[in-house]
Amino acid sequence: MPLLEVKDLRIAYQNPSTGEQMLAVDGVSFKVEPGETLGIVGESGCGKSTLARALMAYCRPGGVIVGGEVLFDGNNILEFTDEQIRELRGRRMAMVPQDPLTSLTYHMKVGPQIDEILKIHQQLGAHAARLSTLKLFEGTNLPTPEKSYGRYPHENSGGQRQRVVIAGALACQPDLLILDEPTTALDTTTEMQVLKLVKELRDRMGTALIYITHDLTLTDYICENVLVMREGKVVERGKATEIFSAPQTDYGKMLVAAIPRVDAAFPEPAPAIDKQEASTATPLLNVENLSYRYAQRWSIDALFNPQQEELAVDNVSFELRRGETLGLVGESGSGKSTIANIVVGLMAPTSGEVAFDGASINMIDKFRSAELRRRIQIIFQDPLSSLNPRRRIESILTRPLKIFFGMSGAAARDRAVELLEDMELSADLLKRFPRQLSGGQQQRVAIARAFTAKPDLILCDEVTSALDVSVQAHVLELLKGIQNKTGAASLFISHDLGVVKQVADDTVVLQKGHIVDAGTTRSVFGDPTHTYTKLLLAAASRREDYADLSTAAPTTAGALRGR
Amino acid sequence: MLRAMIRRTLLSVLILFLVAIFVFLATEVLPGDALDVYLSEDDVAVMTEEDIEEMRHDLGLDIPAPIRFFTWLSGAVVGDFGVTIVDQIPIGNIIFHPLLNSLQLGAIITLITMPVAFAIGATAGYWRGQRTDAVVSTTTIIGYSIPDFVIGTVLIIIFAVWIPLFPAVITAYNKAHPMELLAVSLLPAITVIIGHVAHLSRLLRAGFIETMNSDFVERARLSGVPERRIVWRHVLPASVIPTLNAMALYMAGVLSGLIVVEKVFGYPGLGIELIEAVDTREVHVVQAIAFLGAVLVVVMNLLADFAIIALDPRVRSHVSER
Repeated sequence: MPLLEVKDLRIAYQNPSTGEQMLAVDGVSFKVEPGETLGIVGESGCGKSTLARALMAYCRPGGVIVGGEVLFDGNNILEFTDEQIRELRGRRMAMVPQDPLTSLTYHMKVGPQIDEILKIHQQLGAHAARLSTLKLFEGTNLPTPEKSYGRYPHENSGGQRQRVVIAGALACQPDLLILDEPTTALDTTTEMQVLKLVKELRDRMGTALIYITHDLTLTDYICENVLVMREGKVVERGKATEIFSAPQTDYGKMLVAAIPRVDAAFPEPAPAIDKQEASTATPLLNVENLSYRYAQRWSIDALFNPQQEELAVDNVSFELRRGETLGLVGESGSGKSTIANIVVGLMAPTSGEVAFDGASINMIDKFRSAELRRRIQIIFQDPLSSLNPRRRIESILTRPLKIFFGMSGAAARDRAVELLEDMELSADLLKRFPRQLSGGQQQRVAIARAFTAKPDLILCDEVTSALDVSVQAHVLELLKGIQNKTGAASLFISHDLGVVKQVADDTVVLQKGHIVDAGTTRSVFGDPTHTYTKLLLAAASRREDYADLSTAAPTTAGALRGR
Repeated sequence: MLRAMIRRTLLSVLILFLVAIFVFLATEVLPGDALDVYLSEDDVAVMTEEDIEEMRHDLGLDIPAPIRFFTWLSGAVVGDFGVTIVDQIPIGNIIFHPLLNSLQLGAIITLITMPVAFAIGATAGYWRGQRTDAVVSTTTIIGYSIPDFVIGTVLIIIFAVWIPLFPAVITAYNKAHPMELLAVSLLPAITVIIGHVAHLSRLLRAGFIETMNSDFVERARLSGVPERRIVWRHVLPASVIPTLNAMALYMAGVLSGLIVVEKVFGYPGLGIELIEAVDTREVHVVQAIAFLGAVLVVVMNLLADFAIIALDPRVRSHVSER
């Protein structure tokens, strides 16, 4: 008998204003055997998270299970009483949520939140529960269980919080563990550690796993079987390795093809704009010995006990030639966004030299000329918060035209339409507000806006991190296109090595404010010299040898684990 | 945590100092001095320039304003607000008992309002969209739409005239025994409580609903934590925090509500004293009561800040970092 069997499950959300029902999950059926690992893959809005919750007979407010069965151990848990289902949750089936920070009660210390589960399901006393929790924390590789126990959620790092939540889910040794995008909020190397941990725990305890993710490469790493979902339906299913290597449906093929892979072949080099000339001319952006230290917060302690913050950027040098793309790679805290902020003038460097087109630009933007500000533009990660929500797209695009070129009226409008067309967006969008566009469309508008200024240098700060893979592929292509058309150079910042490999001519790898590796993208990815780069590459390609690398470089891995 | 609290306290003292300057300027310096306010046009008509100057000298109003301010402030800090113009009675003596009486009434109101509003707000929030919630939502809108003096009058008609349980007008003196006042303060208290409960329970309901939809409640539910425990241990503390500041301001507003209610019921508190002082043009009394009102607002806010620091560890580490 399968551990879990889902039959023709349908879940609907009710639109509160119209009362209409929209099916979020539409006739899904599958089985999970004890100890099996099943991956459920799909892009945002495909219903995978709704499905995951329904497996525990739970719906978010507004959602209703309108049909089908969820059989756990042969019993339809959708017909259970509240009390019966409560007994089951946390004890025999448990969930690891997506965002561990918001999923832990912020006004309680993390230890007692795990104690709570043990007290409820195993009737442990306060002391016994505490001991069990500490043991669980140890089992999930929390570096200092005792300390973590007494911390509030926000005092732990992202990776630690996720380990706490996993410890909570495993507290009663459940038969089924559902993981809902558990590593999306984490850095690649931390993600790898968490995944390895989950794998080990599964093998040790024989727990069945359902792994929900948007990332096909992850399912390839951790799952035996995979379901691909789209618009509430299962569109493809099979062995993980088979789907990954030879997808059957068009959608599956598209998903696999859209993934930026670090192990993919290098893209064809763009028709070189006479490299000879480019290399002898002054570089467009020249950064020399750049360092930045965040100012210490004012406090009484600091007056008596002055100690300097660590350097966020430490002696970094690189150059970017006209029309080329330089990739800045690193995990959070590596200083890559600090560099972007300095180049664009949001912060002034502590020491070092930043030169643009041969002239120093070591000053914050209010001391920069309008012309200089025009020539350097930035695109951010979250388009929705970088586009004024109260302005229509037309006003968003024509305003910089007016400011920088004095264009107005029909001329500006025509230019805006032209830019939209470059981004393969229709002119109809001009009348809309940012909120009315999809995430991909918003980011394309943000790109169009940056290019209204006809910049020479464009900074892309994690521009595709918030997008679905298929959308990401399209946006990258458009960005590359408009960049080639206008001849703008780009400083491309990303934590995703696959993306950087696709777009960058040169790559700089940063770790804790230092450059650890630099060179042409081809040489950095093809023949990494530094262990940290190797580690990143291994993590990004979900290679098993990640484990050997992380032990081979104890200092680096130790530092990463602390994050 | 301690440092954060000290910081907030110092800030409150600074605010009170600024408020004191403002009160002093508003009542004494601008547009004329206390004497200009005190003397009616008739008085001015029969008095000679010299008389007025002499009076001004007697009252010490010819001393430069900054010096007067600091004299007044240093007195106010220890409860000495000067003397009345007419009878030369120390103002501290006049307002001491009314102040205690008003504080007693305010405390009764707060002690009843808080738990009742909590219970109603949480109940409505928990069964959101159901009948209980609909009833609560409708009654609370009605509750806070009716002005205090209407509620007060209606209560008097019902519970003093039709069913003579309480006196229609309180005849207690300023120095009445607290227990005696307690017996008669029920009607005025209820009058204020109705409006406050209505408003606060709506605030709490909103906070409660937001928290119930949060990720951590979902995690707790999916871990099999019983609903009762989720509500008490996880949701209530979290839903109180965002409403605390509003609550503090609201409770400080009890004072302004009291002026109306005390007048309606004849309750011997600061409100009555204030109205009397305005009638008799006793500038210094108005000044003292206005200053005490400001102290109350600032203290309530300080208490709310302390409560937030105690309840929300994120705020705690944030403020102690600075």
